[in-house]
Amino acid sequence: MRPLFALLLITLLSPWGWAAEPDALKSPQWEFVHKRFLNGEPYQFDGKVKVEAPADAEDSLNVPISFQVEDLESIQEIVVVADLNPIPQVLRFRPKEMRPHLGFRMKLQQGSPIHVAAKTADGLWHVGGVWVNAAGGGCTLPSVGTASGDWTKTLGKVSANVWQRPDGSNRLRVRVMHPMDTGLASGIPTFHIENLNVLAEDNKVLAELDLFEPISENPMLSFDVNRQTQFRLEGRDNNGNRIQAEVAQ
Amino acid sequence: MKSGDLFRKILLASAISFALTSAPLMAAVTDQDIANDATTTNDVVSYGLGLQGQRFSPLDKLNAETVKNLVPAFVLSYGDEKQRGQEAQPLVHNGKIFVTASYSRVFTVDAKTGEELWQYDHRLPDGILPCCDVVNRGGALYDNLFIFATLDAQLVALDQDTGKVVWKEKMEDYKAGYSNTAAPIIVNGKVITGVSGGEFGIVGKVEARDAKTGKLIWMRPTVEGHMGTLDGKDNGITGETNKSWPGDLWKTGGAATWLGGTYDAETNTLFFGTGNPAPWNSHLRPGDNLYSSSVLAINPDDGKIKWSYQWTPHDGWDFDGVNEFVSFDLKQADGKVIKAGGHADRNGFFYVLDRTNGQLISANPFVNKITWAKGIDLKTGRPEYDDANRPGAPTGADKGQSVFAAPSFLGGKNWMPIAYNPGTDLFYVPSNEWGMDIWNEPISYKKGAAYLGAGFTIKPLNEDYIGALRAMDPKTGKIVWEAKNKAPLWGGVLTTAGNLVFTGTPEGYLKAFDAKTGQELWKFQTGSGVVGCPITWEQDGEQFVAVPSGWGGAVPLWGGEVAKSVKHLNQGGSLWVFKLPKTPA
Repeated sequence: MRPLFALLLITLLSPWGWAAEPDALKSPQWEFVHKRFLNGEPYQFDGKVKVEAPADAEDSLNVPISFQVEDLESIQEIVVVADLNPIPQVLRFRPKEMRPHLGFRMKLQQGSPIHVAAKTADGLWHVGGVWVNAAGGGCTLPSVGTASGDWTKTLGKVSANVWQRPDGSNRLRVRVMHPMDTGLASGIPTFHIENLNVLAEDNKVLAELDLFEPISENPMLSFDVNRQTQFRLEGRDNNGNRIQAEVAQ
Repeated sequence: MKSGDLFRKILLASAISFALTSAPLMAAVTDQDIANDATTTNDVVSYGLGLQGQRFSPLDKLNAETVKNLVPAFVLSYGDEKQRGQEAQPLVHNGKIFVTASYSRVFTVDAKTGEELWQYDHRLPDGILPCCDVVNRGGALYDNLFIFATLDAQLVALDQDTGKVVWKEKMEDYKAGYSNTAAPIIVNGKVITGVSGGEFGIVGKVEARDAKTGKLIWMRPTVEGHMGTLDGKDNGITGETNKSWPGDLWKTGGAATWLGGTYDAETNTLFFGTGNPAPWNSHLRPGDNLYSSSVLAINPDDGKIKWSYQWTPHDGWDFDGVNEFVSFDLKQADGKVIKAGGHADRNGFFYVLDRTNGQLISANPFVNKITWAKGIDLKTGRPEYDDANRPGAPTGADKGQSVFAAPSFLGGKNWMPIAYNPGTDLFYVPSNEWGMDIWNEPISYKKGAAYLGAGFTIKPLNEDYIGALRAMDPKTGKIVWEAKNKAPLWGGVLTTAGNLVFTGTPEGYLKAFDAKTGQELWKFQTGSGVVGCPITWEQDGEQFVAVPSGWGGAVPLWGGEVAKSVKHLNQGGSLWVFKLPKTPA
């Protein structure tokens, strides 16, 4: 059973000539990133995946990143990886009833390629990326909330804004208070939001997000939603603390 | 490609359904597994090696003859700078060893290799208020979950395979002084827990939740006057308001259930001990102060109290009654067997009760010096107090008359669990000989602040030893043998059909004794004090023993003059695993 299964997989994947294409960012880690976070599945570098980030990060603890995936249908999942971070995986985003756009802030330990890969229904990953230079150290410092001891007072609190974009659709920006400790600072265990879902008023899931350690403290996330103005947020951290909020314009 | 895709999906789907149907069958811990834990030898799935808490294993490969061949198999370091008291009892199931550690941590290792599989570090707020070191005493296994309680009074259920949180429930407000260090137990699908915080004027309670979801089923307060609940509805007040408490003091009455409890399936009864009444100053609260310093027999189905027995009515010495109540068959001379329970109290007496009704059968000292009472009256079931040895009432702003009382508030025996061996018919009690100067001070309740109203210093009673592992005959109340130890004993006991008794010492040894004579047969230096609970099981035809090592607990924090005999002891944090090899090396 098992050898047959493996054989089938290779046959299925071979038409794309997987992992053959060189990375435009010349990331030394690309092979590992492809195997580990894209499950070694077929991919192509694709200009339709646009990633915006400063060329030089001013603050390694808060590097603003945004991406838009244009002209690709039925996107299953989008993965963000900072190849040279000690914890490379940043987030996984499954836009269901919203555009495949996202803005967020992250921690960088050193200058690194930021790869964004969007998987379409045919199983192909479309990959874009930018290189961000950073002074570094972002992942091994204690969060401000942890260092000050204030985190218990605000843990899981949500603030949000909804405003209209020129085309009549809306942008939703949320901030969830959480230390997002990476576990790499001495004596401070890993403590981060694991997932966060955006739901419409009628509980329909608009998008699902898996967040990992490199997301900045008190995560700030911007979504391009449709014309809804009321939302619910539901999530949980790795200690099982729940996040629940309602957003109204 | 389309057809290929479809085929692949079907393959994947069949693989998933295979995993779903087969994996839980192999791994899931059932109510039956827990009910049989005392007799199955290839796993340890409950605190106490069976819910009765006998800590007896029927294994006998390891015995008085072979124990000399017991050798280390592997050791796990808990790492980090958090090397504090390691009081846990490990669990073994499905090829994994699960153990909790100081600061609400959990480690899981491969039972064959000792390699760590996962670790869970609970995120603790800075403001936690544990009274007596940041310990944890163990978890519970149920279904595919490992359930344990944290220092910030949360109950966390982790996936046994990944260590990921499956559910988490807040038990109480840590800012009001609640915390939790005891191992939960699972009874018929319910996870049963108590609470800590008796030094902060909290109100003790026992809670039952759905073990698979964490949803609260019933709650039973342990202080008279408070309302219990069942399925979210009122379920009757505990006791009778103001019957044994004056004024409003019952509202902050303590009686914390901080050591968890045991369960007896034969009578379908939970036994939960309760802590001291708050505050310590007994003159503020005339009356028996029910149900402090007691054992409560509770129906696990609805949380109703079946009976209670108060070890120390109107406690004035911090004689917590939380120590475990261990069900056993009391064999009488005429061949009759009484369903009984044994209990070694902080107050220095070893009690045997009829566990069907709470009637006192016997109460005998298991320590050499008891000053607070002359004895326990078998007719009334009450202590014969020596009033001269109750600390006096404060006058105005001055402290009251100081007295010397024995045992000290750390008890003839503290939290460390006793063991009962049905082969030798003996209980094995890790006891300590110490007394205290104790006096009362004026006090008023403030949320989250210590609520004692007393001061104290602990004093050893002997130059050469404090600890003594003692074998008690429950039929006669006599001490059959004792093994003295310089430092106070603070670790749990294990006994086996191989005529062995295991316990640890603060000096760092895990020791094995002959269960009939008390002769020391084997010891191993673990590098730090052993204050955890040893377990044993069989794996691939070999008998294993495991115990945590790491000095700490209440002694170095509260120990007064005792600190002199322990201050040189080094901290640690590790799990030691030993085995008896098939062919001795």
